Amino acid sequence: MKNFIILTLILFTSCSLSAAVDVIVHPSNANAIDAGDIKKIFTGKAKSFADGSKALPITQADGNPATDEFNQNVLNKSSSQLKAYWSKLVFTGKGTPPEEAANDAEVVSLVSKNPNLIGFVSKGSADGSVKVVQSF
Amino acid sequence: MKKRYLIASLLLTGFATSSYADIRVNGFASIYGGQTLGSDDALYNYSDELDWQNDSLFAVQVSADVMDGLSATAQLLARGSDDFNAEFEWAYLTYEVSENSQLSAGKMRIPFYRYSDFLDVGYAYRWVRPPQSVYNLSFSTYEGLSYLHNSTIGELDSSLQLMVGAVDTDITAITDSDAAELKDTIGINWSLSNGWLTGRVAYFVSEASIDVSGSSELSGLLNGLQAYGLNQQYNNLAIEEDDAYFAAIGIGIDYNDILFDAEYTQFEIDNSILAKQTQYYVSLGYRMDLVTLSATYEGNDDENSNDQFNQVPRSITGPGGVQIPVVAPGTNPPLYLQDATNLALASQAAKSNAYSFTVRYDFHPSAAFKVEFTHFEDDLSNNDADLVTFGVDLVF
Repeated sequence: MKNFIILTLILFTSCSLSAAVDVIVHPSNANAIDAGDIKKIFTGKAKSFADGSKALPITQADGNPATDEFNQNVLNKSSSQLKAYWSKLVFTGKGTPPEEAANDAEVVSLVSKNPNLIGFVSKGSADGSVKVVQSF
Repeated sequence: MKKRYLIASLLLTGFATSSYADIRVNGFASIYGGQTLGSDDALYNYSDELDWQNDSLFAVQVSADVMDGLSATAQLLARGSDDFNAEFEWAYLTYEVSENSQLSAGKMRIPFYRYSDFLDVGYAYRWVRPPQSVYNLSFSTYEGLSYLHNSTIGELDSSLQLMVGAVDTDITAITDSDAAELKDTIGINWSLSNGWLTGRVAYFVSEASIDVSGSSELSGLLNGLQAYGLNQQYNNLAIEEDDAYFAAIGIGIDYNDILFDAEYTQFEIDNSILAKQTQYYVSLGYRMDLVTLSATYEGNDDENSNDQFNQVPRSITGPGGVQIPVVAPGTNPPLYLQDATNLALASQAAKSNAYSFTVRYDFHPSAAFKVEFTHFEDDLSNNDADLVTFGVDLVF
């Protein structure tokens, strides 16, 4: 019960801080990408952008603020729910979860080098080497 | 066993040396203890002594992208109920035919139920074990082909799976271990989902043969029928290349932390001693952040239809119009094969129901603790049993 109270507090504080995430792609990626597309790409339901080029999502390590924010606001799943979701796909050969980067800087660096990648970073972490397509 | 490891290591080294192979290793495990609450009560292989093996398992899956669109996957699974002897539960090749369809060949799971595919991955569902009244077939894999096509129909996600193959394994039918063969198994498994509501139908047909020589009573009865030349009656009892079907319908809801699951399944092997089986469950759950509560009600009803009874005559007409009683030789008072057959058919009946309460607590990003209480009632024998199981599921 004590844990619950602490958890609720943590949740409330993280909500009130309202960190936000930017979804980023390579500058050359001219596709219109909306929230629905992002959700589909990050849950393995879509594997390409509107123009037909391959879409490779990169997520961040569990527990990073950006990851929690993205899971909650974009995928509407807790990290446990997401893990269960991917378990179902992984252990049946139906899908592979996104590659994981350690932090914002790594996501920016990877995305800036590959037109097929799509990632998310804490608001304000993106620089000119990438393009922000959506913010949540 | 050694051979198996060798194959696994060959697979690994074979792929590892190829510079293009992208190898992924994942695994899952469950550690469960359980015991029944009443003395001498038994349920799901548990007794009134605490047992740590029945539902415990450990699995490692290795998958490798061999080249463009082709991957190989092997899942080694060690079950506590099998003394943790590791076996290949899955071993298959998959070819990505297109972005949304794949063709797999090898040893895979038969998609009988909604949770068939990840039956062993306890982390993927909220119960300790999927409702056993429904999830009660004693075999779950087949060898063959599977074609999976995912698409979007309007606003709905559609997942269509076609499978064709065969099962050749020991199953629980008349005794705990009867050699069984399901030839020419063809099935379809289709799910539609709008994100929070999922509907599913599945239908399989097969040609089933089960060797009943393990049961001296049944093989004796079959021999008796043959001795009297009652071939039709023999065929109506024996399980030799008989048509079988399995049908399932299911629904799942995950809406604002309210969870609901229900499945109904029906299964029959025509012209055999085995009864037609119908089973169902409904389960309601509620998710509160890290804790998920569930209540489940389930039932099972197996019965042979009335027209199967009294099919064996009490006497046959012999040479010169003599009436010869159809009895088991050397029995006094005479045991009529009609009565023996009726008894055998009636013995296949089963009727039970159960309810369970489960708490799942996601105490770690990759692990969940669960505790489940199950009350089981056998409606034919009026026996009941209470079982408590608790443990941890994890994925890595």
